[in-house]
Amino acid sequence: MATKPAIAKIWEENATPRHRIQWCPGCGDFGVLAGVKMALTQLELTPSGVFLIGGIGCSGQIRNYLNGNGFHGTHGGALAYALGVKMANPELQVIAMAGDGDTLAIGMENFVHACRRNAEIVLIIMNNGVYGLTKGQNSPTAGLGRDLSQMEFSEESPPPVDPLRLALVSGATFAAQSFSGDPKHAAEVYIEAIKHPGFAMVNDFSPCVTYNKFNTYEWFREHGEHIPEGHDASDFKKAWALLDEFEARGKLPLGVVYRHPRAKKEAKRLPMWPEELKPVDLEPMIKAFR
Amino acid sequence: MIVNRLKLLVGGVQLRDGVTTVTDVLGKIFTRAGLYTLAEEKGYASTIYGAHQFDPMVTSDQPVISHADDLIDVLVALEFDVNPDAPDQPNRDTILRHGGKVADRGILLYDSSAGTVPVRDLEARKVKVFPLPARTIAQRDLKMEVVKNTIFVGALFRVLEFDMDQKYLRQLIEERFLRKGQKVVDINLEAARRGMDAIEKGLTEQGWKDTGYRLEPRPTSEKRAYISGTDTLCMGAIDAGCRFYAGYPITPASGILEFMEQHLPRYGGRALQGQNERESIRAAIGAALAGVRSATGSSGPGISLKVEEIGAAATTETAIVIIDAMRAGPSTGMPTKSEQGDLGLVCFGAAGDIPRIVLAPATTEECYTIMYDAFNYADKYQCPVFVLTDLTLMDGRKTIPEDFFTRSRVRIDRGAIVREEDIRKAGGYKRYAITDHGISPRLIPGTPGAVFKASGAEHDEHGFVTTEAARRRAMMEKRMRKLETYLAEDVRPPQVFGKPDGVPVLVGWGSSKTVLLDAQAGLQKAGTAVCVIHFSHLWPFPTAVAKPLFDKASAVIVCEQNFVGQFADVIQQHCLIPARRIVKYNGRPFYPSDIIRGVREIVRNGRQIYRVGEEGPVMPAQVTEGDM
Ligand code: SF4
Repeated sequence: MATKPAIAKIWEENATPRHRIQWCPGCGDFGVLAGVKMALTQLELTPSGVFLIGGIGCSGQIRNYLNGNGFHGTHGGALAYALGVKMANPELQVIAMAGDGDTLAIGMENFVHACRRNAEIVLIIMNNGVYGLTKGQNSPTAGLGRDLSQMEFSEESPPPVDPLRLALVSGATFAAQSFSGDPKHAAEVYIEAIKHPGFAMVNDFSPCVTYNKFNTYEWFREHGEHIPEGHDASDFKKAWALLDEFEARGKLPLGVVYRHPRAKKEAKRLPMWPEELKPVDLEPMIKAFR
Repeated sequence: MIVNRLKLLVGGVQLRDGVTTVTDVLGKIFTRAGLYTLAEEKGYASTIYGAHQFDPMVTSDQPVISHADDLIDVLVALEFDVNPDAPDQPNRDTILRHGGKVADRGILLYDSSAGTVPVRDLEARKVKVFPLPARTIAQRDLKMEVVKNTIFVGALFRVLEFDMDQKYLRQLIEERFLRKGQKVVDINLEAARRGMDAIEKGLTEQGWKDTGYRLEPRPTSEKRAYISGTDTLCMGAIDAGCRFYAGYPITPASGILEFMEQHLPRYGGRALQGQNERESIRAAIGAALAGVRSATGSSGPGISLKVEEIGAAATTETAIVIIDAMRAGPSTGMPTKSEQGDLGLVCFGAAGDIPRIVLAPATTEECYTIMYDAFNYADKYQCPVFVLTDLTLMDGRKTIPEDFFTRSRVRIDRGAIVREEDIRKAGGYKRYAITDHGISPRLIPGTPGAVFKASGAEHDEHGFVTTEAARRRAMMEKRMRKLETYLAEDVRPPQVFGKPDGVPVLVGWGSSKTVLLDAQAGLQKAGTAVCVIHFSHLWPFPTAVAKPLFDKASAVIVCEQNFVGQFADVIQQHCLIPARRIVKYNGRPFYPSDIIRGVREIVRNGRQIYRVGEEGPVMPAQVTEGDM
């Protein structure tokens, strides 16, 4: 991908300077950051028109490491804030970036319904299988790649959630996967997600070098595999079959698994500027009460 | 003959007997006839079908001050059969529950299709009793069971010598039923006539000249609406510029969501039914961040779930209005009963210390006007603003002249917003700029030339996360300084009725105001002067204006519908004075007589607290389940 250095610089303004970024050296989140920057640069978006929503945890800091408006609220809330932003102003490019614990544990309620609601929001799950910031507890995606037939499960440690399959059964219209160890490819996936006219989920494998000693860069390089060119992503059954086929081979598909835009009512930016808010005609509201 | 002053109660089985269908017709017609009605004691069950429901209404040719005491002039019992809630009593449930409250020489009208009910005790008190086989007439003669309600309306109008020529009734029936055909209109009018005839016959048989009550129309050219607090609150919100509302179904706040879904799109806005309480408030926060006047609403259980987001909104300095329509807690509590139990929750609920403003409307009218304040303050101070209302107000209906709404408009002020040229002039933008008044101008995202970073984590002026001691102190103080600015520039002092000098002061907040004024008049008549001080701006508490008033009083008696006296605690804490309490928490509204009795107990007997109902048995051996 041809990067445009002059424009790429824009995304470093109004952001925490590089030397103050507080991620462990080698953290997979750096790859997501690089990929998102590439995607935004490539699409020539304007920072003032971009709204980044970060989750809670290591990954959530990303909103401050990039130019663009940023918001950081509570654990699990990113997609619900994003919903409000997008409903209020569809002209903004809304990107939510949150961890796997944030999205699939405490924020599961929002994840499933975001898939159904299909607001034009990009979600990048920065998935590392652990709660990094609280020092390495298991997240709902913990156990990825382990031989499930050999594992002893319990209420305390159930099998992992697969965000792709969950997104598909929840009605998502776009589901993709990327690996932050390959930011260039990840950027291509993010670009597709941004262009998608609906909710677009990208599950990005973003290794935690400090607390996940199993799902390492090497491990992902060995198990990740690009989706073949000929895959028909518009077909739900083929998307599901692709997941089965990769799973049978112990591989993780990278690229767009499913893309099927859903027709939707058009929405306008809501009135908000003082000059747009005048006293209204009360008649339609009051007439039922006479 | 009592003319144009009565309290009427219609009761029956919820969903089955059409209690609110009847009261809605009555309220509308009385309003059209130039009379004023207030109905804010509606009793309904938390189940859908089968329990007892009732809807008392006060009607007069003067604006009605309060719902007054629970004495009834006219009791209308709609049930034609057994109430599943009280299976041993065919068609007498309403009478058993409310008969004791009917005034001497009052009126009872009941459905006698299942037989007559022995009411010797009522007759002994000269209550005029009219058995009316409404269901039988509807089924047998008119072949349409639903018109039994119209039979009752007709009968009641005859009892009150009101609209005998069916002028008002015909108009309403045509509006409602003409699209179903002339036949339906005719059968309804015939039904009303049958009701009238039945009363006529009753009067003749008993040799009564009249019933002792009469309602006379007072025709007026003034347009008036018979409208609920939910509806006035929503109209106020929309007129005040609210263009995004998100809520999750919960009694008694669901009506707000329904109203907003119905009307917001017309004004370019959107209403969202959240998948849960948290999605609702988060989406409302998102819309506010995008720059829209945005609100969410719920009742106590839902507000509890939103608490974390209240902290986030306050810390990120997001302008959001949160409506808490209180019902009786704790926990699920009594969903269809009113209480003022969430004051502590909305004033103190959150991790850490946050700036917030709490407003509580006192009347159906104030539900409308307070929304302008709520949105203007939310924008000016960029913090959560609570509108603390309750089931009594939200479900209560009242006759209000329509010009009140246009007359009471307040200018929309969206507060400090930076525009492109401001950014250019200043050479940059800091979302959380430290200022003397604590307010940092905000940016609507999309404005060219700048971005903002907002964070619920402690942050510096740019919005970047910090834990550095001095920055933290500065930011905490900046946020909290907004409250001082509010107290200096905007807080509305309490309303004072009478003079507090040397007399007991009755303090109230929210919906108890009208009852306190009624009690004040009652005490005055009995020779006890009291002053009433009523607050609608509750938090931050305006100590500087309140304390001097309290210092003059012989006793400060805070009247509220909760167990501990939550506002009394706030007053005590801020004014360093003992606050005595009259509290009520049985799920029923305050009555003036509750207050009068409480004042006597406290003033004469030196009591600290009076709990309404305390003179009754702890747990009566036989209490009918459900409402009365
Ligand atoms: S703890 Fe893990 S996820 Fe967090 S910054 Fe370090 S490597 Fe990244």
